[in-house]
Amino acid sequence: MDTAAHHTPSPAPETALPAVRARALTKLYGRGEGTVKALDGVDVDFAAGQFTAIMGPSGSGKSTLMHLLAGLDTASSGQAFIGGTDVTRLDDNQLTALRRDRVGFVFQSFNLLPMFTAEQNITLPLTLAGAKLDAATKDWLATLVTTLGLSERLSHRPAELSGGQQQRVAIARALIARPEVVFADEPTGNLDSRSGAEVLSFLRRSVRELGRTIIMVTHDPAAAAYADRVVLIADGRIAGDIANPTPESVLAGLDALRTFETTADTGAQVSA
Amino acid sequence: MFTLTLAQMRRSLGRLTAAGIAIVIGTAFVAATLLAGEVLKRSSYDSIAASYADASLIVQATPEPGVPAYAAELETADLDTIRSVEGVQAADPVLTISAMLNVGSKSSYVPVIGVGSDPSLQPLELTGGSLPETPEEIALPADVAERLGVSLGGTVTEAVDTLTTGENGEEEWSTTNQSLVVVGLVDDPDGAFSMTGGAGLVSQDSVATRMEAGWGATFREATVMLAPGTAIETARSELQALGTPGFTVMTKDEAALASVAAVTNGQDVFTMTILAFAAVALLVAALVISNTFQVIVAQRTRTLALLRCVGASKRQLRSSVLLEASLLGLVSSAIGFATGALLVQATVLILQRFDLDVPIPQTITVTVGSVVWPLVVGTLVTVLASLVPARAATRVAPLAALRPAELEKVSTRTSRVRLVFSLLLVLGGGALMVAGLPLATDVSVELGLLAGMVGGAASFVGVLLGAVFWVPAIVSWVARLLNRSGASAQLAAANTLRNPRRTAATSTALLIGVTLVAMMSVGAATARTSLDGTLDQEYPFDFAIEGAGMTSDPGDGSSAPSVLSPTILGELSDISGVAVLAEVTTAPVSITWPDGTVSEDNELTIVDPAKAAESVNVDGLFAGLDDTTVAVDRFTASNYNLDSESTLELRGPDGTVTVGVTVTQVGTISIVASPVVGDQLDAAASVNGAWLKLTDSADASATASDIQGVVAETPVALVGQALQRAEMEDLINTFLAIIVGLLGIAVIIALIGVANTLSLSVLERRRESATLRAIGLSRRQLRATLAIEGTLIAGVGAVLGVVLGLIYGWVGSMIVLSTFADVSLTVPWRDVTLVVAIAVVAGLLASVLPARSAARTSPVEALAVE
Repeated sequence: MDTAAHHTPSPAPETALPAVRARALTKLYGRGEGTVKALDGVDVDFAAGQFTAIMGPSGSGKSTLMHLLAGLDTASSGQAFIGGTDVTRLDDNQLTALRRDRVGFVFQSFNLLPMFTAEQNITLPLTLAGAKLDAATKDWLATLVTTLGLSERLSHRPAELSGGQQQRVAIARALIARPEVVFADEPTGNLDSRSGAEVLSFLRRSVRELGRTIIMVTHDPAAAAYADRVVLIADGRIAGDIANPTPESVLAGLDALRTFETTADTGAQVSA
Repeated sequence: MFTLTLAQMRRSLGRLTAAGIAIVIGTAFVAATLLAGEVLKRSSYDSIAASYADASLIVQATPEPGVPAYAAELETADLDTIRSVEGVQAADPVLTISAMLNVGSKSSYVPVIGVGSDPSLQPLELTGGSLPETPEEIALPADVAERLGVSLGGTVTEAVDTLTTGENGEEEWSTTNQSLVVVGLVDDPDGAFSMTGGAGLVSQDSVATRMEAGWGATFREATVMLAPGTAIETARSELQALGTPGFTVMTKDEAALASVAAVTNGQDVFTMTILAFAAVALLVAALVISNTFQVIVAQRTRTLALLRCVGASKRQLRSSVLLEASLLGLVSSAIGFATGALLVQATVLILQRFDLDVPIPQTITVTVGSVVWPLVVGTLVTVLASLVPARAATRVAPLAALRPAELEKVSTRTSRVRLVFSLLLVLGGGALMVAGLPLATDVSVELGLLAGMVGGAASFVGVLLGAVFWVPAIVSWVARLLNRSGASAQLAAANTLRNPRRTAATSTALLIGVTLVAMMSVGAATARTSLDGTLDQEYPFDFAIEGAGMTSDPGDGSSAPSVLSPTILGELSDISGVAVLAEVTTAPVSITWPDGTVSEDNELTIVDPAKAAESVNVDGLFAGLDDTTVAVDRFTASNYNLDSESTLELRGPDGTVTVGVTVTQVGTISIVASPVVGDQLDAAASVNGAWLKLTDSADASATASDIQGVVAETPVALVGQALQRAEMEDLINTFLAIIVGLLGIAVIIALIGVANTLSLSVLERRRESATLRAIGLSRRQLRATLAIEGTLIAGVGAVLGVVLGLIYGWVGSMIVLSTFADVSLTVPWRDVTLVVAIAVVAGLLASVLPARSAARTSPVEALAVE
């Protein structure tokens, strides 16, 4: 783990509009007595140009939060904003346009199209939009490819790439349309620790060198430490916020969460 | 999007193949039907053109206003007018006369034409002997001569009916027998008379005589031969100016085309009927395609979800599926057309080898229609079938891309609306169909048939709509029976129920084919037994030899009954196909009826009661016949108000007898008496007829030939129900075979669908099967599971199809036949069992390949996360 890598973070522009916002975001599953509150009135801001990790134990609602923020799922109440747009108010066509132009995704299981080459996979969003590769986009593609170290691999199919390489192709795909924000769902979940480290540092480079905004969901404290900020979530509520995280501070934060839970269970006060 | 679609197609190629094959078969059917229709049209044209021989022009009478074209006739006088035109070398009437020719007891209607005034107007070719020149000469086709048993130089007798004015000024028909010498043998090389089985030749004078005698001297067309060097158009315009109101003159080709157009109307109906079967096949294919695409879309969930995440709109995904379907449809239809064309061409070439009388073209004519229709229909069917799966593709949630494992969400929601609709159709349609029965008997058969067909179709659609509800229920019921037979059976049962929609769709495809086959089979069997019953009622003998036909002519104009000598009777009994022979004597008697009237010269049939009872096909027909009672046919009985209490007085040359009456049904025979009574009336009467009953295994036509051989020298007539029954059975069997063959195509497609569904469901359940294998299910058990599944789906579909087919077949038969026959509802057990057996075996076979591939996958491979 490269702990010294978290050097000076880029200044968070406080006056500028946050890239992503949640306001009283709630998601309920089930009905009546069996209702489960996956998210319970969450309020959180994510600044632009930052690498944020959403962390929490399983069942905490972190994936649900990301799904709602990205417009992949419908909220029971509350609002979610990407830039100035309230995604909870958009219809399907508008959401599709949003996903095409303003939001990028990186999945745990890569989800590359096996019959396309790496290059074709990267340019898939453009192909779908029917957009031609103009000079600016070609430059951007070249930059991405160089930054992510994929120059040798462009004509290979996913079956010929290692896990780490596939995930990097996925990241390039997520970035090709220059989205306002990239959502990454457990991007290192299917990778060994070395490839995982590679991918995480590439994600950080995208933020540092290419000025992107990335929001990552993870349950791995070591992975979270790569971010500029960690938002802790438990039981559907924001439970903590760590700036400039290190693996130790993240672990400590998680422990605090567990104690918090025990407190809630027994109803007795235990000093941290 | 296009490259994406193509790439996805390439991946799913294997799974699309089965759907493709279904379309290939369906479109090949359509193409073959259209092309075969063209071949038939060409044949008709060639045949009709052949009948005009080498004529330059054809002349027809122009119809007077208000008179239909076919009623316009030419007269002999017109021929002279035509012949007088400059350039006309010869002109003959186009006239075919049907001549009744007899040799001994063999008789045959033979069409004959005149020799013609010019060889180029003569379509027939002389193969032996010479052309007839006098009215006493005739030339016959070689096979007709063989059939009649006459050779070159032999004699045939013609029964000529002439219309004469009787003494009281009334016109009546009388028959004269004329002896003709066979002077030549002819052949019909161009098939001009293929429809009628060849034609014979008589001299031109003979034609004229016949025309005057009975037919009136008119005919429809005349063939004209122009002298070499005459301009056709000049002669044509000259001819057209003649005659009142004028002649219609056409070239040979024009006339043939016009005639073909008239014939084609009937052929088009024929083609349409066959295309109806093609429509059934395509419907079944549509079900297979819909199923296939549904599974393909379900398997692509991850990819589709990803595309949605990356920004593909619903419309783009839907278009992608539809594009895939269009490409598949187009390519398959093209292959289907090629297959159909090759099939017809191959058949035509094979038929050329057989020397058929019908002219068959060497190559098929590929018309624009025969190319375009299969392509359009095949592509359309494929695209329509993929509409529902395409919509399903749009409903994939982007969230599905994020799920780690393939969770198959099966929506078991089936709409209430569908249930209600289907019930309405079934009940309403069923009621309408059953209402067809009283309609047929009370109003008209056509109306009853219409009601039956519409009602039947509606109820069937209702059944199909509701299939998704009751097919899985029945399958699960059957499966419950299997539950005791082990793990594989339990798994199989559970698997068929997990996706009721798909199970129902697969079974439905098979259901359609099987129901139709069963219905036709049942209908044919019912028709057969019912018509048998009717025949039995009218003429209950297999064969009857009747003396004194038109063939006996002692020369004094009277007809003397001919006698069957004991030798002949002995020979007849010895024939291997004959089981019982009852000797029959007929004698003229006069009868005094209960009301006092007397009829002279009634024909009394005398036969031994015991022998008579044995020789008829209906039991108890002669139960009341004994030494003091005569059996009277019910028509005669009703005419004279006879019943079992009546008595009759019979008087013959040797005495008078009073007898009691028993009413029975003997068709054309009015009174039957026992020999005791007969001896009292006319002791000298001798056996001049016989009733014969065939053994169960006898071949009717072979026995008929044997019988005819024995009585060849005796002037008797052989009549019999056996031949009719045999012919009718042949007809029904051929008809049924053709229809089942045509429907069989739909059934084959349905069986492909079963195989398809099984293999696709195996692919879907790879993970599950692997898990089961990992837990301890053996390879053999896994294969058994799939085999049982295949058998279940196919078997249930087939049995249900048979049940439905029975119902529809019975109702249909009753509607059609009840007006003229007593309908006995039969179950054609042999056919039914065969159909179910084939379906079950096919279901089993369909599971073999998928089972092998499923069993061969190692559990670890299949369980790995992608």
